[in-house]
Amino acid sequence: MVNGATKPKRFVNYLLLILFGSVMILPLVWMFLSSLKTSDEIFAVPLTWIPSNPQWDNFSRAMELAPFGLYIYNSTVTAIFIVVFQIISSSMFAYALTQLEFKGKNLLFNSILITYMLPAAATYVPSYVIVARLGLLDTLTGIIISNIASVFTIFLIRQAFLQVPKELVEAARADGANDLTVLMKVMIPMSKSTIFTAALISFVQMYNNYLWPSLIVSSQEKYLITVGLNRFFTTQGTFADQWPLIMAANVLAVLPLLILFIFLHKWFIKGISDNGVKG
Amino acid sequence: MGRLRGTFKLLFFVGIPLIPLFVFWFFPMLVSLWLSFTNWDYISPSFDYVGIDNYTNTLTSETFYEALKNTIFFSVWTIVPTIIIGLFLALLLKEGLKGLTFFRSILFSPWITPMVAMSIVWSWIFQADVGLINQILGWFHLPQPQWLTDSDTAMWAIIIVTVWKNAGWAMLFYADSLSKIPNDLYEVSDIEGASWLQKIKTIVIPLVSPITLFLVIISAIDAIQAYDQIQVMTQGGPAGSTRTLLYLYYQMAFEQFNMGQATALATIIVLITGVLALSMFYASKKWVHY
Repeated sequence: MVNGATKPKRFVNYLLLILFGSVMILPLVWMFLSSLKTSDEIFAVPLTWIPSNPQWDNFSRAMELAPFGLYIYNSTVTAIFIVVFQIISSSMFAYALTQLEFKGKNLLFNSILITYMLPAAATYVPSYVIVARLGLLDTLTGIIISNIASVFTIFLIRQAFLQVPKELVEAARADGANDLTVLMKVMIPMSKSTIFTAALISFVQMYNNYLWPSLIVSSQEKYLITVGLNRFFTTQGTFADQWPLIMAANVLAVLPLLILFIFLHKWFIKGISDNGVKG
Repeated sequence: MGRLRGTFKLLFFVGIPLIPLFVFWFFPMLVSLWLSFTNWDYISPSFDYVGIDNYTNTLTSETFYEALKNTIFFSVWTIVPTIIIGLFLALLLKEGLKGLTFFRSILFSPWITPMVAMSIVWSWIFQADVGLINQILGWFHLPQPQWLTDSDTAMWAIIIVTVWKNAGWAMLFYADSLSKIPNDLYEVSDIEGASWLQKIKTIVIPLVSPITLFLVIISAIDAIQAYDQIQVMTQGGPAGSTRTLLYLYYQMAFEQFNMGQATALATIIVLITGVLALSMFYASKKWVHY
């Protein structure tokens, strides 16, 4: 197998790829098809694959029941803010870890390394109290500031900074550049692709984040898409004929990420196989 | 002057990034440990120290052991298939294959979707009477389980969703690792007349073992933290059959506001995760080929 490529073998290979590929996207396809069905069609036994008369207004009807546009906007804006802050603070920290000498540097790095493995859920009770004390419960700011700390981004950027040739840094310093200039003009430009991948993956994770945001926000106009979607599911799911609308809402939630993925799939794939991203 | 500037520099580059890290990561971990020795209920301003009561209560309760059992079951049965399917898919994605990028993207796409949205879709797919899976099983005259409403099958439904979402992710790691295996190795075993299965056993599995170890550890830590799919699909039910340790923690903390018990459980979860990571790290020295 592995590199023997006789014809029948290649055929079996493709057959298996098509089979597994279909299984992998079947839930997405099924979601999309279901969102266009009438409530009679969606409950049909035996099942119907293609809706006979696609119900495009399921999308607008779902959006009348809950402001999904607003939820998606909240999620997108929150995720963008988190990512920007994460990248800024992680770059600064990675700079200190790779370019500056100070006491306790290794201890600091190792303690971050060890806690990386620990479940974030262990911080939820105290973090919840801290967000409450800061008066940031039920605000998007509360979600943003509690997510800025990202051990994963620090690792990734530190790794990239270690690859920057020493000569470049020394040359910049000889030209009289200070630390901030070295960071902005040498380190970050040299690590662009890593930083972009880190930002991309972090964006997806924050857009998809559910448990922590669901604890912080309580009023509907602050819901993130994941929170709003699950509330919609729990309130509408009891009415059987609302299933097409629930599926339409799911399509709305997944679509921004799918579009992002279609355009940038190479970055996701390269970034993950190069850097070892936590699932 | 130079020293002052040095201190300022450190405050800037280390101090600022450390603020969020301390406030929302290190400090809460410690506070959580401290709270686990109290009987705080979130609402009242005062609390008492109760020593190790929260731990003895937890470690003697049946709910805890049931949740522990569920967590182990869930972890093992998501990790093993994720890794096997991941490796298998990576083997199918050979270098120079036409449409490689296309297939790879399709196989990986579940990973980027929100777990909450896809769990809702899967709840629909798992519907006992009209769901897609049972209708397909019906075509082949196979038994049609009740899935989410039956305590024997609900966990399997959660496992299927999790494997579906993560297999493509494991595949990417293996694909990268496989591309680094030198071709001569296969050629040598071709000369020796090795079969497909022999090559997998003698070349592929040993050479990708560092990646396997990495995936096992990360997937285990991930499995311990699984929450979204359980919350959406079963809320820990039916009859507690899908209540994992983390879900129990969530219920104790944010449904019952029993912060003492919850943080004690959090400490236990942290310890399990830590021991798991360390033991696998040491075990790796025995059987991983670098």
